[in-house]
Amino acid sequence: MSGHSKEFPITWGMVIDIDKCTGCGACMASCQTENNIEPQPEASNKLRSTSWMLVYELTNDKAFPNHDIAFLPRPCQQCGNPPCVSVCPVIATDKNEDGGIVSQVYPRCIGCRYCVAACPYHVRYFGWYDPIWPEGMEKTLSPLTSVRPRGVVEKCSFCHHRWNLAKDAARAQGKNPDSLDDGAYVTACVQNCPSGALSFGDLKNPKHKVHELIKSPNAFRLLERLGTNTQVYYISRREWVRKLGDNYLKSE
Amino acid sequence: MGLDRRAFLGLVAGGAVGTMFTPIPWKLLDDVSIWTQNWSWIPRVPKGQVDFVATTSKLCPAGEGLKIMRVAGNPISAAGNPDHPLSRGGVSALARSEVYMLYSPARVKSPLKKSGKGFEPITWEQALIEMADKLGAAKGAVACVSGDGTGTVNEVLSAFVGKLGSAGCFMMPSEATTAAKGVKLMGGAGQAGYDFENADTVLVLGADIFETWGTSTRNRKAFGASRPVGEKPKSTYVYVGPTKNNTASVCDQWIPASAADLGVVALGIAWHLLKAGATSNAPGFDTFKAVVNGGFGPEDVKRATGIAPEVLAGLAKTLAAAKAPLVVTGSPFGQGLGAAPFIAGMALNILLGRINKPGGVYALPELATVVPGALTRAAMLDGDLPAFLKGVAEGKTPAPKALLVYDANPAYGLPEAATMAKALEKIPYKVSFASFMDETAALCDLILPNSLTLERYDDLATPYGSGFCLYSLAVPYQKPVHDTRTAGDVLLTLARKMSVELKFDNFLQVLKEKVATLAKASGGFVAKDVMPWQVAAGKPAPALAGGDLWKALSAGYAWTMVGQVQSNLGFAPEVLAKAVKAGKAPEKTAVLAPYAQLRTGTPTTGIPCQDLTTVPDTELLKETTLVRLNSATAKALGLKKGATVTLSGAGATCEAQVHLFESVMTGVVSAPLGFGHTAFDIYSKGKGANYLSLMAVVEEPGTGLSTWAAAEVKIA
Ligand code: SF4
Ligand code: SF4
Repeated sequence: MSGHSKEFPITWGMVIDIDKCTGCGACMASCQTENNIEPQPEASNKLRSTSWMLVYELTNDKAFPNHDIAFLPRPCQQCGNPPCVSVCPVIATDKNEDGGIVSQVYPRCIGCRYCVAACPYHVRYFGWYDPIWPEGMEKTLSPLTSVRPRGVVEKCSFCHHRWNLAKDAARAQGKNPDSLDDGAYVTACVQNCPSGALSFGDLKNPKHKVHELIKSPNAFRLLERLGTNTQVYYISRREWVRKLGDNYLKSE
Repeated sequence: MGLDRRAFLGLVAGGAVGTMFTPIPWKLLDDVSIWTQNWSWIPRVPKGQVDFVATTSKLCPAGEGLKIMRVAGNPISAAGNPDHPLSRGGVSALARSEVYMLYSPARVKSPLKKSGKGFEPITWEQALIEMADKLGAAKGAVACVSGDGTGTVNEVLSAFVGKLGSAGCFMMPSEATTAAKGVKLMGGAGQAGYDFENADTVLVLGADIFETWGTSTRNRKAFGASRPVGEKPKSTYVYVGPTKNNTASVCDQWIPASAADLGVVALGIAWHLLKAGATSNAPGFDTFKAVVNGGFGPEDVKRATGIAPEVLAGLAKTLAAAKAPLVVTGSPFGQGLGAAPFIAGMALNILLGRINKPGGVYALPELATVVPGALTRAAMLDGDLPAFLKGVAEGKTPAPKALLVYDANPAYGLPEAATMAKALEKIPYKVSFASFMDETAALCDLILPNSLTLERYDDLATPYGSGFCLYSLAVPYQKPVHDTRTAGDVLLTLARKMSVELKFDNFLQVLKEKVATLAKASGGFVAKDVMPWQVAAGKPAPALAGGDLWKALSAGYAWTMVGQVQSNLGFAPEVLAKAVKAGKAPEKTAVLAPYAQLRTGTPTTGIPCQDLTTVPDTELLKETTLVRLNSATAKALGLKKGATVTLSGAGATCEAQVHLFESVMTGVVSAPLGFGHTAFDIYSKGKGANYLSLMAVVEEPGTGLSTWAAAEVKIA
């Protein structure tokens, strides 16, 4: 993988404090409804269900009582150098907008699933079923996100629609939409997490908290060695957690 | 012939290699995307103006204030209200479900009357006539069960049942019932309130404070605030319990101990504190000291729990050195703990001088009742529902002639399911005010569907665990989706029909009166710029602009009050001496340690349909739930990873798959609750097993309270 990444003056990023996440799933539930993902009666079949945000359980692999666990919430990592983009035959996914959010254009997607295979973070989901809401529940669909048909690939968009809303709000207040205040644009998962495990902001903006957070000695990214240059950072005081973030040889 | 999308893609893939370099395939692919996505059935998203309104979650026991997003006046989604002290912008997976659950397939859509094995819809008028008739005949022997720990509707219910001649008013067992019993036995008064926001060191004995214990969303906000991202934590949290659960996973230390031994651990810590010179003027101190010194020394505790002496000594030192330590005791799954472990944990708070102190435990006053003849909350919490039903099942207690069930699902949510079912069977007339078709509703004679949070006026008064008094309103923002009514209104209508005087004509009047009483109470204020924990820490409380209170509450703000009742909390050493024993750890085959999570809902909600996706496949795989045990336990029991096993206890059996997981102490089987529904809808029904049914109820020595915090199970 080449290390070449496109640079954007605004780079939206998430910082996830693993030491604060209790694995409650509120972020997942928030994402589902924010983004019009249908309820899935077969949701225990993880190969067929859709969850743009997925909380993984990590363990240090030791036996009781030295065992330790941690939870790792995983949205789309919004790679600077996204492996999914180069494999898409129809340019249904791209990284060319300021902010650095990897787009997914549903009407263009042909469901070939190359991107699903290419994504090392498993953030991409193929819609195996018609999205069906129980009768009446379609009244709770959000007008801010489209509903996808079966047969296309979808993924976390950093709640892109919220960015548009934040820019509109800034314009209405006579502020600069290209320099939003810290917290003016946050995603649904970040907003609702009761533990405050998730932070969001412009990684390049020194006025945003995340700008400093990613410099923490405890900060790391997933599979950094792949050169994907992701925009999602994790923080943990626990060394074993940080080590799990990448593939290391036993001797390292 | 239809060419489906996948077949078509197959064709294209076959020809792909040879045509890669001409533009034609790209054009064709573009066309494919247009054809294949032209589905007429895709729901259209609603259009219209977006606005936000505020209310309070009644589905989630954590009692979050909510901000509801609406489109063209229609509620769309629920988020945490940043201005509400119990949510501060956070929301649980359950409270998040408040909007879409309006359309849950499990909702009861109109009054239903039992007919043969099923139900037939009837009108409200018919339902009320029938009920007035049946309840009139049952006079003198009407009982009720409520699962709403915070609503003023309990006043209407208990006053009504009281005037008909009560055979008992009960709350579903919870942390609140245990704590109320504990406080009473300690000679204290008020509801125990925990000031997490001002605490710097928190010892958690069993309680799953970030999931099922009390105001969990608020607890997590307080925890989060004391742990700024990327900085050194400003607080210390230690968890003692049988598994490293969601709460323990973010704590600084986990000390494995069975739920049955929490009292022993607490008294073992007391031993160290006493040795270091801790003393107290609270009643019973001398006897307490004798009890602790007589049987809870480091070796006693080690023998009983396996906890090394230096671990406990270290813990005692940490607590003693802390500026604002706090001890919280509860059941790892939110119910069934004895009063004695609660008392033992509270004794630590007394020894540490933490009663009615910032960052400690407050004895919170109960808000005044407004319905004449209503039971106070303390009186309602005093009942012991499992004991009552057990008595009925065994024929020792006369069965009530009628039972009213409000927001409760005893047929599913109680231990020893077989016994409880037997008792419910013996009650000839049962009515449920259920919003969803739960297991209890399914066996009732009449179901009077209660409107949901967004369809009704309701309230929330100081949920258990809150560190301050709090009152918050639920305000309807839409017409009921189905033919449902507010249970409070139905009860008041019925009372009038039966000439039972309850003073009020409708529930809104009750709530208005409640708010009017609060407006007159001294010390209360609306939490806006100043939060109650800041007042506890010394900031002056703002004045209350009385006349506007209803308006402020309707806008989503909460009334709060910091303060305490006169509480002469003592050590209750006689109780401890009888109920807490540091015996030798028994050679048990396996102790069941259930855990509950808000994402699987409550017994009355079932699993909220969107939350099913959040359940990992290490908990529910296809239709089977998994139980967790460590490899040492598995080896001892001869069980292999992935094996299907049958767990049995209390006359019931449950299937499970074995999941090897090392954060469970040896000898313990950890099992998720919230599964195994036989009612509700496709999102809940038939998914896994209900392990609560395996837990036998035992009477706690010295207190007489029903307990089921740790039960032995057989695994085969
Ligand atoms: S909501 Fe927060 S604490 Fe819960 S799983 Fe998501 S990130 Fe973790
Ligand atoms: S950022 Fe938005 S789309 Fe992405 S996981 Fe969070 S809620 Fe879902």
